[in-house]
Amino acid sequence: MAKIILIVDDSESIREVVSFTLETEGYKVLVANDGVDALKFLDGSHIDLIITDLHMPEMDGITLIRQVRQMPAYQRIPILFLTTESQAAKKMEAKEAGATGWIIKPFVPAKLIAALNKVIR
Amino acid sequence: MENFKKKFVEEAVDLLEGLEKSLLALEENPEDSTLIQQVFRVMHTLKGNSGMFGFDMIDSFTHEMETVYDLIRNGKLRVTRAVLDVTLAAVDHLKCLLDEENYNDANVIANHNELLSKVKLLTAEEPVITTNVTNEWHKNSPDEEQSKKEKTYYISFEPIHEIFDNGTNPLYLIEELHSIGQVTVFAHLNKVPPLDELNPEHCYTYWEVLIATSANVNDISDVFMFVEHDSTLEIQEIADFNLLADELFVSELTRLAATQKDIGLTTVQNLSKNLISKKLSEKIKEFSKDQPNAKRTSISSIRVSADKLDKLMNLVSELVTTQARLSLFAEENSTPGLLPIAENVQKLSRQLRDIAFSIVLIPIENMLTRFQRLIRDLSQELGKEVVFITEGAETELDKTIIENLADPLMHILRNSLDHGIEDKELRLKRGKPAQGKVSLKAFYSGANVMIQISDDGAGIDPDMINEKAIAKGIISAERKLTKREILDLVFLPGFSTARSVTDLSGRGVGMDVVKRKISDIRGEVEIDSELGYGTTITIKLPLTLSIIDGLLVKVSDTFFIPLLMVDKIYAIEHEKIVNTFNNVVVLDGQQVPFFYVRREFDIPDSAEKLEQVIVVNFEEKRVGLIVDQVIGEYQAVLKPLGKYYKKQDMISGATILGDGTVALVMDTNKIIKLFAKHEVFTMKED
Repeated sequence: MAKIILIVDDSESIREVVSFTLETEGYKVLVANDGVDALKFLDGSHIDLIITDLHMPEMDGITLIRQVRQMPAYQRIPILFLTTESQAAKKMEAKEAGATGWIIKPFVPAKLIAALNKVIR
Repeated sequence: MENFKKKFVEEAVDLLEGLEKSLLALEENPEDSTLIQQVFRVMHTLKGNSGMFGFDMIDSFTHEMETVYDLIRNGKLRVTRAVLDVTLAAVDHLKCLLDEENYNDANVIANHNELLSKVKLLTAEEPVITTNVTNEWHKNSPDEEQSKKEKTYYISFEPIHEIFDNGTNPLYLIEELHSIGQVTVFAHLNKVPPLDELNPEHCYTYWEVLIATSANVNDISDVFMFVEHDSTLEIQEIADFNLLADELFVSELTRLAATQKDIGLTTVQNLSKNLISKKLSEKIKEFSKDQPNAKRTSISSIRVSADKLDKLMNLVSELVTTQARLSLFAEENSTPGLLPIAENVQKLSRQLRDIAFSIVLIPIENMLTRFQRLIRDLSQELGKEVVFITEGAETELDKTIIENLADPLMHILRNSLDHGIEDKELRLKRGKPAQGKVSLKAFYSGANVMIQISDDGAGIDPDMINEKAIAKGIISAERKLTKREILDLVFLPGFSTARSVTDLSGRGVGMDVVKRKISDIRGEVEIDSELGYGTTITIKLPLTLSIIDGLLVKVSDTFFIPLLMVDKIYAIEHEKIVNTFNNVVVLDGQQVPFFYVRREFDIPDSAEKLEQVIVVNFEEKRVGLIVDQVIGEYQAVLKPLGKYYKKQDMISGATILGDGTVALVMDTNKIIKLFAKHEVFTMKED
């Protein structure tokens, strides 16, 4: 069974590139525009990994993962940030909110896949 | 990749438009942190995305802009006019940079550098904050030339008990080590507590790993980048060759691991000393992944090219026409079962039509930013203070209409600012607030959308217009015109009310062009003005362009009258018409002027005793049009008439009926205007 990855990013081009990269690797991809949109997918159904942007309209990444960690079904799900933000303080905030890891944009596909391999197989 | 690039550009255009809007709003409320955040976010997104798609100039530029807005949002810099001016100029520049052809343009590059230095100047006044990119979790490994030589490292990795809580699975990290080199792993379970003390959600295992790889220490620590803060990690080089290739070494290690709690770095180092003379290489295991076909689920909205939409609309139009033929055929041929099918097709095509229509409707908001920008720039240029108020921005219109509306609206706004709103001193002298007001209001009115642009400026002096029109020979001095008729004169070609042609008017076109452009999209424009109090221009637009509901009527031939013009239909005896005085009939107790269409068209009177009066709305009045008979309601797909018929006004198009014949579409407003002129003419002749 292909692993299911939820991508949350308000930028369509990023969504497209990330999903293209992941699909090439054989993952099944779900996409959401922002935190609020993402929550629609998180209805208890099976998801293997969430990749989210940090700054988004409606609901930002940190608020999103705080909420995700509250849900019994997703308490242990790996969550990666994919963002241009590189401030250490922000990272710590994300980490405390429950993020698994952090990937800096711009990224090359190989790097994304490498990061992915750290959290799912 | 080209495809992604195109997406990026489209998206960036949207982002920049939104940015422009935020900036203009920010000018009103420079302290609004939400807006500052928005601006920052756009710069941030652009920076991130542009780098990925090879728009290096945008990348470097937005990086600087981001720095500025980062300072602002942290309260270290204030939003000043200078900041906004530079940012707005930056928006224009970024738009230009989206076209890769501009990258080699010397002007663009000069502008780029000039703006960059301006942006840097903004931040230079403030204490410079070094945005030191410290990638705590993720170290960008430099693409330096890696030595092919394998080395052996000792890794001790002990995660904190709560490592599972943030979704980390340490086993994956160990597994990843396998992908960068030859690995021997020892997992130690001696810290696992007795069962009654064990928390199943905690991790008690720790690992010792020996890895032989050509990767360097940084590459190895990259594997653990997500858990740096959640584990004790030690990485040490123990040999500059592959120790693991030595069977003796490995078996000794395994023996030690089985007897001791953990092996420890010193033991490993000692062991390695014994094997220093041996060097062997082995191939790195390669892991291949299965690639099952994955399917993407859809997102809530998609982007479709305007081309496809046009094609869709065209096809829907054709479908509606074909469906009309089917309905007719079904009525004429009583094949069992055919009628229900025809009715179903009719229902479906109506629904399809409605949906297709709603797809091409876009809110007026889409063009507002442009106007706000225009007002901002113009008021600065003219030294006038103007506030722009919009209302009903959510009102939706056909995209073709929106596209064709922007120019005329720009022109009207330009006029309002240039000729309408007075100078500050003059306004104060006239007892008006110093700040002028221009408003754009959009709302639905039946099947129309109304757009009203008002200003509280000087207004138009009808006497002056009259004077001027006479001077220009547009009207004769004897004719007494109503105020409305006078104001309508400004729409005539070659009419300019401004006493002196300013820089701005020189740029624009006359109001006649505005009117023509609006007529092109089946709209009407009206002007109302009170001297000293301001001017209001009202534009009435149809919701859509291509398909309309209407009545099929017979006047010797078949004609089509748009339903939204029709008020009521009455039957009338032919005699009554012949015997009326002054072309007025009494319908429902009201006097209604009428035109006998046959006579106006120079067709002999109908032989039928009973005819139909179609009462249509004409400039807030009711006017009757007498036709032979009403055939029924019909949904017309409008087709333009050929260019040979362009000069006439009465017929706005044609439609193909179910039986394949053509019906001409009457433009009742223009027909009545024409009939009325004819009337005046004939009366004079009499």
